[in-house]
Amino acid sequence: MFLANPSNMRLILFFSALAGAAWCLETFAGDQVLRVKASSEEEINKLQLLETLEHLQLDFWRRPSNPELPVDIRVPFPSLQAVKVFLESHHIEYSILLEDLQVLIEEEKQEMINNQRRERGTSNFNYGAYHPLDSIYAALDDLAAEYPSLVSKQTIGESYEKRPMYILKFSTGGTNRPAIWLDAGIHSREWVTQATALWTAKKIASEYGSNPSITSLLNRMDIFLLVVTNPDGYAFTHTNNRMWRKTRSKISGSLCVGVDPNRNWDAGFGGPGASTNPCSESYHGPSANSEVEVKNVVNFIKSHGKIQAFLTLHSYSQLLLFPFGYKCTNPADYNELDAVGKAAASALASLHGTTYKVGTICSTIYQASGGSIDWSYDYGIKYSFAFELRDTGRYGFLLPASQIIPTAEETWLGLLKIMEHVRDNQ
Amino acid sequence: MQRQSAARLGPLLLLLLLPLAWGKGPSPPRAAEELQVSNRLAGQAARVALHYLNYRLGSPSALRALGQVRKATLKTIPGIGHKYYLQFTTEDYKSSLNVGTCLATVFYLKRKPRPAVNINCTYTKDQKQIREDDYSFYKKMRQQTKPIIGNDIPDSYGNIEPALEPAWALAVAGSSYLMWEKSTENLGYFMAQVKNVKQWITKDDSIDFDYSVVLHEIPTQEMISCHLRVIWTPGHPLKVKYFCLSENQWSESEEGSGTESGSTNGIFNEKEAHF
Repeated sequence: MFLANPSNMRLILFFSALAGAAWCLETFAGDQVLRVKASSEEEINKLQLLETLEHLQLDFWRRPSNPELPVDIRVPFPSLQAVKVFLESHHIEYSILLEDLQVLIEEEKQEMINNQRRERGTSNFNYGAYHPLDSIYAALDDLAAEYPSLVSKQTIGESYEKRPMYILKFSTGGTNRPAIWLDAGIHSREWVTQATALWTAKKIASEYGSNPSITSLLNRMDIFLLVVTNPDGYAFTHTNNRMWRKTRSKISGSLCVGVDPNRNWDAGFGGPGASTNPCSESYHGPSANSEVEVKNVVNFIKSHGKIQAFLTLHSYSQLLLFPFGYKCTNPADYNELDAVGKAAASALASLHGTTYKVGTICSTIYQASGGSIDWSYDYGIKYSFAFELRDTGRYGFLLPASQIIPTAEETWLGLLKIMEHVRDNQ
Repeated sequence: MQRQSAARLGPLLLLLLLPLAWGKGPSPPRAAEELQVSNRLAGQAARVALHYLNYRLGSPSALRALGQVRKATLKTIPGIGHKYYLQFTTEDYKSSLNVGTCLATVFYLKRKPRPAVNINCTYTKDQKQIREDDYSFYKKMRQQTKPIIGNDIPDSYGNIEPALEPAWALAVAGSSYLMWEKSTENLGYFMAQVKNVKQWITKDDSIDFDYSVVLHEIPTQEMISCHLRVIWTPGHPLKVKYFCLSENQWSESEEGSGTESGSTNGIFNEKEAHF
């Protein structure tokens, strides 16, 4: 009960003076937590009065109720002096429980981060499981943190829904060395591809220095890895529709959403094997490179200027493909690409017996225009290959997580074979 | 005299020389053309043959998946259609172990709605074990007092609850009928997921399931939603009714052996088949 006596009036006056002060409560710097021991009902009343003075922004961790129990108050820095003066002038006993809250919070935050990184840490990250986008992005950070002299994370732009598109750069130095490009997850429902790419990143990073092949490769060339080429689609497969394939761009004049990002490249764009219907899974989009995700990759490749190989991961069907898809004629480098492809498929099969068919897109899978490796090949990147990973239809897109690591391990052998050939034929 | 016969010979000669004058001219029906084993149409045709086999066998424990195409030949019959002659290995659907080789013909007819299939396979899987597995699934379902229900099989992560695995296998068998019917030379299917399964408790000997399945269509990449009703008694032909969302009528399997569209029995006696 508030009694209008002189002491209380002084209180109000005193604290009101502080009301005009500017509060900057974004951090807790300088804030203290006081433990107050009220020894009588009167003192409790005074503390309850304190509670009502909103401009002090006091945060009662333990509220004043009876004299037996301590009252804990978080006092923001600007109010500290006033509150202490008040307590002292009324002979109310108190002690400082926490001297500087912000310092404590910082320490705790850092500990949490360290814990998470240790817990997650690339040695504890479960590469044999499917992860949502945030976890994958965190794993990229962890890789860069764990192998700072080899791995760095860069952004090549944003997706339609403004998600960052991160690539990992594997480099042992030099300036603008010739490089290999590897991407996954352009079709978001093909979950084994993002998972394989992440495992591959760890593999490259951890094997540099011990594996002579990858070591000699990285001593001469860089590797760029885009784990999630279509982050909007990937997020959508987790929240709404596991079978979503396309981007999530809005199409003017249509209720349907999304463009098939692998029909959107400037290679025979709009030709056979792509749909003009926005509601179709293979809709090529309003124009070549209309999809920002595609444009970002194209821009990166062009501005880098020294990409020697363009490798991309899809699922499923167990195929190793090279151009062309937009036309059913063989590329000029057919013989070489076929030989490299066959060697890669053979290396892949050597591990778990998984058989892959090798050939041009058109003859092996189907005619499809606007595809990424057709663009890269016509752009001048001879070693352009697309993998269709496990399986052959039993589980299809819903490949059990138990097959992630076996798939990644065998695919690695195939990728390495191709990369070695690129390294040796520069 | 000679001049008279020469005069009669003239037009005859001209007639004989006409094809040369035209250039290529109309060609006679092509002989069988050997295809590369990696040819996608060959693989697709082999898959169609297996859809038909899996449907006709009507056994969740005996489902087969395509292994490798060993030999493929294509015969074009102008105005009629394309006939594929195939030899391929097969794998057990669940275990992926090799379970035998098949010889098949798949005839895509221009005038008939679905491919005509003849298929003959060797069996390396223990037939007794298959019958026992089928029967134990059947018995368990017959004993249900509460209908089996399930969603998303496999789930997003590829998991299949062991208790629901036989129901999933039955869905594959039932979907095989539907995939066989819908397949064309250029359109192929895979059963991507069972979205929903619900059992109907029956008073007769059969077990009865309602399914919502999602098919993956190649090369369009579309996901097709279909409803399936599958009625099964071991040792009897599967009864399948289906309705896909892009269509506007139910389709049903025939009661008979379906010999008009294909067969799984009998000796392979095509004279032209060179294997």
